[in-house]
Amino acid sequence: MKSETLHSKLERYAAGKAMPAEARQIQTWLSCTDSNKELSPEEKSLLELEILQEVQAYTAYPLFYPKKKSWWQKITALF
Amino acid sequence: MSRIFLDEQTLLDRLNLNDTEAFEELYFRYWHGLYIYCLKKLHSPQDSKIIVRDIFRTIWEMRSSLPVSFSLTKYLYEEVRKQVVKTLNEKLASAIEAGAIEKRLTHEFSVESLQAAKKPAQKRYAAINSRSELLRQHAGQRGTSHTTFENIKWIFQSVSSKLSLNNILSYPKN
Repeated sequence: MKSETLHSKLERYAAGKAMPAEARQIQTWLSCTDSNKELSPEEKSLLELEILQEVQAYTAYPLFYPKKKSWWQKITALF
Repeated sequence: MSRIFLDEQTLLDRLNLNDTEAFEELYFRYWHGLYIYCLKKLHSPQDSKIIVRDIFRTIWEMRSSLPVSFSLTKYLYEEVRKQVVKTLNEKLASAIEAGAIEKRLTHEFSVESLQAAKKPAQKRYAAINSRSELLRQHAGQRGTSHTTFENIKWIFQSVSSKLSLNNILSYPKN
């Protein structure tokens, strides 16, 4: 399939104007997850923090809702 | 990092009260599945990262307006699919990336590739049929009547269909 054909199909699908056969084709593609893609544990933990930090940077929630210190953090702060 | 082992509804209730720990717990539970799904579909780590980031950013932003019957797994399932289509559409619109995508992605839309999506169901039915055949052989060996065999087969099929339905309902589609 040419990229122009795929583009026009996706365009119609995104706008909710796709024909039933087109919608079925795109939905089948979306449901087809047979390829094997995995992350290494190191990659995973790095990426986990990276995305979370980006979410925090966008929303600034740690600034407006800082985490409460747990009892052991309060005790260690005394020393 | 500390994890909170609470059910999803409790975490959503806490999220509604601006609990950042509940939000992070939901993130830790679901980010990886969403990321891998996007990576499989778009073959782009950068786009996958952006989609996951935007989904969780939206969840945080709409935390106070979540409906009572809000299902996070359903929302994530719908949202990630929507975002994948949107991103792919945007990429196809730009002339530079369209060529690379055509090489990489368009074969995935071919009939042969899409047949793979139907495989699990076909395998399941094949497994049921082979078990039925096994039951038929056992029934033949023991001299069980045909009606008894059909009853056993009916029970077996209804139990297995119920089990597969429960699996679908309990497992988030991503």
